[in-house]
Amino acid sequence: MKKIIWFVAFLPLAYMLLELFIFQNASDPIKYIYSITGTAAIAILFLTTTLSLWFKKLVKHRRLIGLFGFFYAFLHMANFLILDMELDVLFALEETLDKPFIYLGMISFTALVFMSVTSTKILFKKYNKYHKVLYLVLILTTIHFVMAQKSLSILQFTYLGIFAVILLAKINKKTKFFTFKEKIKA
Amino acid sequence: MKKLSAKDVTSEILFNKRRNFLKLGAASIVASSALVDLMAKENLPLSNLKYLKDANENDLKLNTFKEITSYNNFYEFTTSKEKVKDLAKDMDTSSWKITIDGLVKNPITIDVQDLIKKYALEERIYRFRCVEGWAMVVPWIGFELKKLIEDVEPQAKAKYVKFTTKYDTEMFPDQSRGVFSSITYPYVEGLRMDEAMNPLTLLAVGLYGKTLEGQNGAPIRLVVPWKYGFKSIKSIDKITFLEEEPLNTWQAQNKNEYGFYANVNPKVDHPRWTQKRERVLGSFFKKKTLAFNGYEKEVGHMYKDMDLTKNF
Repeated sequence: MKKIIWFVAFLPLAYMLLELFIFQNASDPIKYIYSITGTAAIAILFLTTTLSLWFKKLVKHRRLIGLFGFFYAFLHMANFLILDMELDVLFALEETLDKPFIYLGMISFTALVFMSVTSTKILFKKYNKYHKVLYLVLILTTIHFVMAQKSLSILQFTYLGIFAVILLAKINKKTKFFTFKEKIKA
Repeated sequence: MKKLSAKDVTSEILFNKRRNFLKLGAASIVASSALVDLMAKENLPLSNLKYLKDANENDLKLNTFKEITSYNNFYEFTTSKEKVKDLAKDMDTSSWKITIDGLVKNPITIDVQDLIKKYALEERIYRFRCVEGWAMVVPWIGFELKKLIEDVEPQAKAKYVKFTTKYDTEMFPDQSRGVFSSITYPYVEGLRMDEAMNPLTLLAVGLYGKTLEGQNGAPIRLVVPWKYGFKSIKSIDKITFLEEEPLNTWQAQNKNEYGFYANVNPKVDHPRWTQKRERVLGSFFKKKTLAFNGYEKEVGHMYKDMDLTKNF
């Protein structure tokens, strides 16, 4: 199972590197790296929170899958600092403080660093209750994703719709707000 | 079966004439195929326009034909810059007419082919800067909008020029999506009269020597090199002269982020991202964005009394 996870999790990276260096299809490489790494990070992190809903077998690999989400967020961040800001830390800081679009991403990344560091067995015992911050990260990164677009296409609205439905299902499972079975009985 | 007689035999003179004709034909095929090979090697299209070359005095490094025709914002097709090329492949721009109306003495509806015949074409190598932060250098072929304006003779009241992209739901898939479309159509842009009359402002009908590809705004588009790319409206259907400033599409879409003027300005950021630097297509490294996209000398005087942080 672990091998499959490693393989699947590296697919977006492999695809991105092929497009960038072998096929050279990406006209705007920095933008392209943002899109692939950002989408991969959000998709994987979102997946980790929904495993219990549809794929219980994977729940015990949650940590590994979550770390892959962080890995793509890290590449996204590296793209910002190295290629986009060209290691001009002062400029990067100015931009971050100035633009909500950037600081939303930055807050999310900081939270992910915290979660990754505290994901070792020993630290996780102490800090696991704070790992619920992932839900905040998902909300902030979704806003960040919407802000990255000039206007939303119908496809992106569809993604957001699916996202909302699963989130509601998840909240419902936790809070038992709607209890469908009882309704059927009644 | 008919028997052949002496009169059916081809005379020697005629025979040799045909021979020579065939040889000539073969030679020309060889010559043109050598040319085709060369063009393909350089990734250049086959030229089909006659025009005056641009000396490229600023020594700008051109983006390749492939880059210019593979990364395009043309929301009428899709919001994906990579997918426009494929969707625009079958765009039929033959017998395309353009209407010039509003406050002019000589309104006209004219076929783009006739416009091309009427005005001498010239190449203009311009920087092109998208509001999203990417940029390229394009060898446009076209003529100054000024020439057309002088011919239609605007009335004294006319202060602005409004441009409208074709509205054709069969041609443009995103226009047929109604309320689900990504922006409101038809796409509208505008210029102040002095901007429209500036010698840099071009009506482009081609690039790299060839008529425009669908994805680049065939058959005729505006090119305003000192403004963000969205001002350079594509596939024009109508040019209207007005007294009042027209509401351009992106300003209508989000007036906090996009204004009427949209001059390239590294000092005024987009609320979501910086405009201080740009990513030139085909390069991993960024370059500093220039005021008025490097055309301050030619256009700066038009805005000297304006607050450009307000009129962004």
